[in-house]
Amino acid sequence: MLTLLDRQPLVEEARPSPSLRAEAVTSGYGGVPVIRDISIAVGPSEIVAVIGPNGAGKSTLLKSLVGILHVTGGRVMLGSDDVTNRPPEELARRGVGYVPQVNDIFEPLTVLENLEMGGYLLTPRKIRERVADVAAVFPALPPMLKRRADKLSGGERKMLAIARVLMLDPRVLILDEPTANLSPKLADTLLKEHVKRLAAVGKAVLMVEQRARAALEVAGWTAVLVSGETRLEGRPADLLRRRDFEELFLGAGPRATPDSQLDQKENDEP
Amino acid sequence: MAIYEAAFGFGLVSMSVIALAAVGFTMQFGITNMINLAYGEVMITSAYVAYYLDRAGISIWLGMIAGGLFGAVFSFALNRIVYAPFQRKGTSNLGMVIVSLAISLMLANALLPIVTYNSVSYSEHTGSIVRLGGLVVTINQMIIIGLAIVLMIGIHALLRYTRLGKAMRATAANPTLARNCGIPTQRVIDMVWLITGGLCGVAGVVAALNSDSFAIASGAGFLITALAAAVLGGAGQPYGAMIGAVIIGLITELSAATWSAEYKEVVAFGILVLVMVLRPQGLLARRGALAAAG
Repeated sequence: MLTLLDRQPLVEEARPSPSLRAEAVTSGYGGVPVIRDISIAVGPSEIVAVIGPNGAGKSTLLKSLVGILHVTGGRVMLGSDDVTNRPPEELARRGVGYVPQVNDIFEPLTVLENLEMGGYLLTPRKIRERVADVAAVFPALPPMLKRRADKLSGGERKMLAIARVLMLDPRVLILDEPTANLSPKLADTLLKEHVKRLAAVGKAVLMVEQRARAALEVAGWTAVLVSGETRLEGRPADLLRRRDFEELFLGAGPRATPDSQLDQKENDEP
Repeated sequence: MAIYEAAFGFGLVSMSVIALAAVGFTMQFGITNMINLAYGEVMITSAYVAYYLDRAGISIWLGMIAGGLFGAVFSFALNRIVYAPFQRKGTSNLGMVIVSLAISLMLANALLPIVTYNSVSYSEHTGSIVRLGGLVVTINQMIIIGLAIVLMIGIHALLRYTRLGKAMRATAANPTLARNCGIPTQRVIDMVWLITGGLCGVAGVVAALNSDSFAIASGAGFLITALAAAVLGGAGQPYGAMIGAVIIGLITELSAATWSAEYKEVVAFGILVLVMVLRPQGLLARRGALAAAG
């Protein structure tokens, strides 16, 4: 595993102490592990992006952190508590919000019902308050509350998925390719406005992103996953300064340009 | 004309009985992904619970409540003890169908020494006759129709307006996301089996009450009719099952009046086959309360 040992000595802000931390996590779908010994951490007000090529195990990592996949090695720490292999409903209760890449909403339910399910753990009164709070974050939501969620456009759908996870006001937000299937303009708005604002109000944001360039612009820390292992991690500016970054990230020939390759669209992982 | 009015009356009763049975069956599939072929046997077992209470001199309506309670507890236990452990082990849907078929056979054979092959009937059978315009139905049939309407509205209210019902729909649509929301899906599924088991038990007593006589072998017929209505409406869709019940109940009785009562089931399955050819996903698939997961 390569790290940025050659990083120039700079006076940098220290990273916040982690809200959620993976320590040498190994996991998969039973059988050969998809990810091996991955360590990653995210703290309050921080955006950490995980990038990497198809099949690198990015979604697998996130699913292991939120209790969907069984962790076979290492630990997942929430603050000072070990939450390794705790069920997803417990992590939700403890302030970890997860937005999957696909199947991210309850399609046959209305938009309002989706939000109510997001706030399932709250009292009816508190749900009403949170719906109002979330509607203030996403002003496009209120007019569509009565619509069925499967009738939404791609952008509206992702907005609902994020609004749904915000119902419980999580401390840690885990987003799996939030800009997949969005137009470049919508993707930009989502990352540069909404995700940044969520970090600004103190949430720890860990996201997998296919649009590597856009991710590097908003993230405070970035890890590059290749074939289930952390190939490289560091501050985006430092990563971009590396002459071999492109090669490490892509495993591609010298002709590959960052623009064409870094933004290449990634498909769903297993 | 009178014969059609009478047939329509029978159709109303018939569709009520079928709806009670089919809605529970389809909810089990829609929410827990379980095609429970033991459903008909649980219905007939509940009918026998009411039968023995009836013989002990207890009112059939109290017997029906007891049958509903039996169905609820039995179905809950069946899921907890048999189905859920198999599903946790990753048994395929087809494997689960076979498991439920095995339960169905075991239940029927376990009952046989107690209830024998003979047909029985409840002592309280018809009640006096009510005339509503041209419709002629008995008091008992009126009660069955009323009960079905109340329970269908109840199921609608549960799924549409209550926290539990919405959690059931959320669990049906996307169980992983439901857990990510903090919904205790295991408890939600327990409630599904209690409620649908209750419907199954009540449906069993009502179906037995609506037949001249019943026997242990009637369970298969109950299952097939419920299955037909559920599939017709779109498997897993409660509102679809209600519509399927209305169509099958009405058309079988009208065909019985027009041609011959013997062709009732042929007509019902003819309609089912026709719908399956024209609209294989069922009438309401993906439009009702519980669209399939994914």
